[in-house]
Amino acid sequence: MRAMLAIARNTLREALRDRVLYLFLGFAVLMLVSSKIFGLLTVGDEGKVIKDLGLAGVQFFSMLIAVMMSVLLISREVDGRTVYNILAKPVRRWQFLLGKYLGLLATVALNLTLMALVMVVMVRLYSGEWDMGLLFASAMILLEMAVVTAFATLFAVLTRPMLGTVFTLAVYIIGHVAEDIWLLTQHITAGVTRPIVAAIYYMLPNLERFNFKTEVVHELSIPPGEIAVTIVYGLAYTVLVLVLACVRFSHKDLT
Amino acid sequence: MSNVALRVEDLKKTFDPGLLKAKVEVLKGLSFEVQHGVIFGFLGPNGAGKTTTIKAIAGLIWPDDGAIEICGLPHTDEAAKRKIGFMAENPYFYPYLTGREFLDFHAELLGLARDTAPTRVSQALEKVSMSDRADRLMRTFSKGMLQRMSLAQALLGEPELLILDEPMSGLDPLGRRDVRDIILAERERGTTVFFSSHIIPDVETICDRVAIVVDGTVQAVGEVRDLVAHEVEAYEVAFVGAAPPALTTPVLASQTGSDASWVRVDSGHRDQLIRELVDDGVRIVGLSPVRSSLEEFLLVHFQGGES
Repeated sequence: MRAMLAIARNTLREALRDRVLYLFLGFAVLMLVSSKIFGLLTVGDEGKVIKDLGLAGVQFFSMLIAVMMSVLLISREVDGRTVYNILAKPVRRWQFLLGKYLGLLATVALNLTLMALVMVVMVRLYSGEWDMGLLFASAMILLEMAVVTAFATLFAVLTRPMLGTVFTLAVYIIGHVAEDIWLLTQHITAGVTRPIVAAIYYMLPNLERFNFKTEVVHELSIPPGEIAVTIVYGLAYTVLVLVLACVRFSHKDLT
Repeated sequence: MSNVALRVEDLKKTFDPGLLKAKVEVLKGLSFEVQHGVIFGFLGPNGAGKTTTIKAIAGLIWPDDGAIEICGLPHTDEAAKRKIGFMAENPYFYPYLTGREFLDFHAELLGLARDTAPTRVSQALEKVSMSDRADRLMRTFSKGMLQRMSLAQALLGEPELLILDEPMSGLDPLGRRDVRDIILAERERGTTVFFSSHIIPDVETICDRVAIVVDGTVQAVGEVRDLVAHEVEAYEVAFVGAAPPALTTPVLASQTGSDASWVRVDSGHRDQLIRELVDDGVRIVGLSPVRSSLEEFLLVHFQGGES
């Protein structure tokens, strides 16, 4: 456990010293500029526009960190051979991989928290309200990023960094059109296409489940049961993908 | 307790590079033992299987067959891993860490107690003469300094068995001397040192025993002096006075002094030369074998393996 946390801390430190938090500064600037612009273009609904834009920005920047950093930092350890000195010590391979995962998730979480706080403050400045629903929507984005980072970890173990990044991006994009894929299966009547499309739907996560932007921006009620199911779904998916990554990494020759 | 620090038995490993490429059989039943408290050199040409063997011992690759024991324990056992210190070839580091942060990180991986870890880190830094540069970022370190830091992390757990893959590669003579001194000091402390190297004079100087690996198998193993002792390639015969002017035995080299002289002939002509000198009434005072150096010995084995 201690070794795993040490690896997680080291990963977070690496990300921070790689100036990942500059992305947060980029987000803050984007929020300021876009709020000014959209504040001029919309009348009466500035608050909603800022919330909508803010949550989209939080999601986009978090996805950037999750996808780019995850594959890069894990591959860097293996290709850079720093992992050799670690795994020759009494550290299990799954401990190494989970340590990296936790460090990456901590990096995403730190950045996301800072972005969420900027967003809440901006909304307060423009609409005069403290909207804590934004923090809930951000937490759900973090859960989504936990799933995405788990996939990035799996692909970092399975393939080269560039391919890993492409595959993770593909999962992210397909994950957001999963419901459309399901609708597609309903329209295909014959042949092998239907089971293939259905298999893709069942294998990949439905990331739209974590999207509560509309509910939060328009202040719609969310059934607690739906929140619970979403949390269980996100955690279960994350655990499943991480188990696959650990099993593969445990058998891998580090040449 | 067994006196064996490291036992490698019938190790086999074949790499599969992927579709449409031939499999590469790197280790073909490699076996050897390293006794406690010795410096053991692992020698071989490029592609002989040295690094693959070392990676298998360190648990970085999985052998297809065979067994590896560290101090009587299976090498994958956590207790076995606590007994080793490992330094990889051409080590890479985290450029964003200082030397001390790097060792603190490795102290945590080893699970060293929080109250003793700082002392151990300081001791390791001192052993590799890096105490005064420990708080600099590692991206500013030279290759020699990185090599020392790599050694420091390997020494941090006070291992029983130190495994070093090419520890002197890429170092200048001063750096090589420092690494050599550290290895010798570790043996004095009772640590077993197992290391691979291409730099034969270093191996010849500091190793108690060596194994020569060619094409995935161990070709020879033993003490350096025993290995080269089998390779007597010539004899020198010393005698009083000058050599007879018309020696019929083919001579490799000779030297004439005011009191004594010597003549060198290959092993096959030793008896012929002695007979000829005795027949000429020369008083022989010495006969000594001329042995090959370890380098010459290795060349013979390496070429033999390649052919």
